[in-house]
Amino acid sequence: MDDSVEHMFVSLADQQGDASSAKGLAGGSDPEPTAKSLALLAERTRPVSSSQTRLLPLLPALADLFPDGGLRRGSTLVVTGLAGTGPDGTGGGISMALALLAAASGTGSWCALVGLPGLGAVAAHDLGLDLARSAVVPRPGAAWAEVTATLIGGVDLVMLCPPFPPRPAMARRLVARARERRSVLVVVPGRAGWPEPPDLRLSVSGIHWDGVGAGEGYLSGRRMTVMATGRRSAVRPRHHRLWMPSTTGAVADVTGNTADVTGNTAMR
Amino acid sequence: MDRLLVVHCPDLLDEDEDGATLRSFAKVVDAVEAYCPWVATVRPGICSLPARGPARYFGGEGTLVRLILDAASDITPVEVGMADGLFAGLLAAHRGLVIPSGGTPDFLAPLPVGILGNPELAELLTRLGIRTLGEFAALPESHVLGRFGADGVTCHMVAGGRSGELAELRQPLAGRRVDEQRRSGRPGGSPRRATVVDEPGFWGGVSDADVRAARSLAAVQDLLGPDGVVTARLQGGRGPAQRARFVTWNAQERHVDITLGAPWPGQIPPPAPVVVHPAPLRAELTDARGEPVRVSGRGLLTTAPGRLSVEKSPWAEVTAWAGPWPSDERWWSRSRRRSARMQAVAGAEAYLLLVERGWWWVEATYG
Repeated sequence: MDDSVEHMFVSLADQQGDASSAKGLAGGSDPEPTAKSLALLAERTRPVSSSQTRLLPLLPALADLFPDGGLRRGSTLVVTGLAGTGPDGTGGGISMALALLAAASGTGSWCALVGLPGLGAVAAHDLGLDLARSAVVPRPGAAWAEVTATLIGGVDLVMLCPPFPPRPAMARRLVARARERRSVLVVVPGRAGWPEPPDLRLSVSGIHWDGVGAGEGYLSGRRMTVMATGRRSAVRPRHHRLWMPSTTGAVADVTGNTADVTGNTAMR
Repeated sequence: MDRLLVVHCPDLLDEDEDGATLRSFAKVVDAVEAYCPWVATVRPGICSLPARGPARYFGGEGTLVRLILDAASDITPVEVGMADGLFAGLLAAHRGLVIPSGGTPDFLAPLPVGILGNPELAELLTRLGIRTLGEFAALPESHVLGRFGADGVTCHMVAGGRSGELAELRQPLAGRRVDEQRRSGRPGGSPRRATVVDEPGFWGGVSDADVRAARSLAAVQDLLGPDGVVTARLQGGRGPAQRARFVTWNAQERHVDITLGAPWPGQIPPPAPVVVHPAPLRAELTDARGEPVRVSGRGLLTTAPGRLSVEKSPWAEVTAWAGPWPSDERWWSRSRRRSARMQAVAGAEAYLLLVERGWWWVEATYG
């Protein structure tokens, strides 16, 4: 089936359910709902047949984790790191989220990073993010949801670290808006949490840092296992062992160690 | 800092009950927007726009100021000026001046400290014999923080032309009310804005995606202020914080080429940390028995690290570490102090630690 047709039905159904909420987020009233839905319809019926327009690219090392081999426009991903020690502990979650944006950013997509007051720009650059097409909203404060809603649709990829626990209705609206506007929303919930089931959840485990011992060396790289679980075509969990970062700060496969959850060696 | 053109409408600063001044101001914003789509409402009666791109396009800063002065004067008396940052821009508008790029500190220096709008600070400074912004700016920042607190530091940075604005200058809600006013005045939406932004090549051959991104980021700046949206530039430097610089996002300067130079001498080897804390986090590092770890005068650890706690978090076992490496640079204080850096792995995290006078800090997290 042509994906554009499927997309149209999904979007229109969502729109009916979420029309009032989307309005609330945009902060304005809508004098001409008919015109708006017509415009939306026109937007939906644009030809979107090729996989190029449906999917945003991923770094080759990450493609295996995704049922489509790319980031599906309109989807929401949740990235959870391994629980760390300090209040800033992200356990690989932020690295993983940045790595998800990297390939698309390198091919002309804009990224917005919301709620990340201390982005390590050098690390982001080394992971592959194009800083010239990335904007950071370090401290959105109480306006975080409105800021995120504004950016969804404006940029292809929005990474969100919610500064406060999101209410379920708010999370639902942002997910719906991402689907409507065909942006990818990458949430790193951290301690705030995220109450809405995502299209795909990526969890980090098995972290091992290399290069340091009892006082000697330098941190040279980290191995981690990333597990992807989701809905529909992504129900079966996929595992992947990665270098993130590698000695150059990039993302790479840990070779010979790729297996799915059943213990079989994954098709590569 | 942003090169800002500031439009000040003295008659429209106070809102009246029937909303007439707000409506007039909305017209001013419309008129200014014909020259640049990224107009930000500072508060009723004051708006600003990033001037660099439009000035280039319209043939110079003076020309742009004249054009906007003409356009807005039809609606209400206005004052227009240009400088680096909002605070100086506003003062320049009062005087009808275009302060040359980089000349803002000299422009500010002779002005009285009272102009910062903080009477307590002004009184304190005057008692200390400091009467001008220039004299205030000459105080070392470490003294300012100790004596005048965080507000004092903000004022200090503004006085020295190192920061663009004071927190209380901006009224975020006002921008939205003015926008509502403008929308309600024009049932068809915002045709002028749409025309200007969508005209292909208006800012020099940008893609549709660039325009969409610019528009949404400008909307976030309307909400949070210009400094609410930043973009990173890389540069040389020893510590992770010194290697990246965040600048206010500005649509006209989006195509910035970032080139990484040769590795900086003394720089910590890659990979770089993913989180560089804007203010270092307080940490405690002890050995396995709970004895504090210190760095001796010869740059060696007094005991082997065993446990780490960050900002009073539960203790985590330190499983590996590297360093310490002495770092004899000026860090957050002006006085030269001996400090050292160390990497430590504790729990699932790896940290870049900094030790100074026996105090441990987390400068960055590898995240």
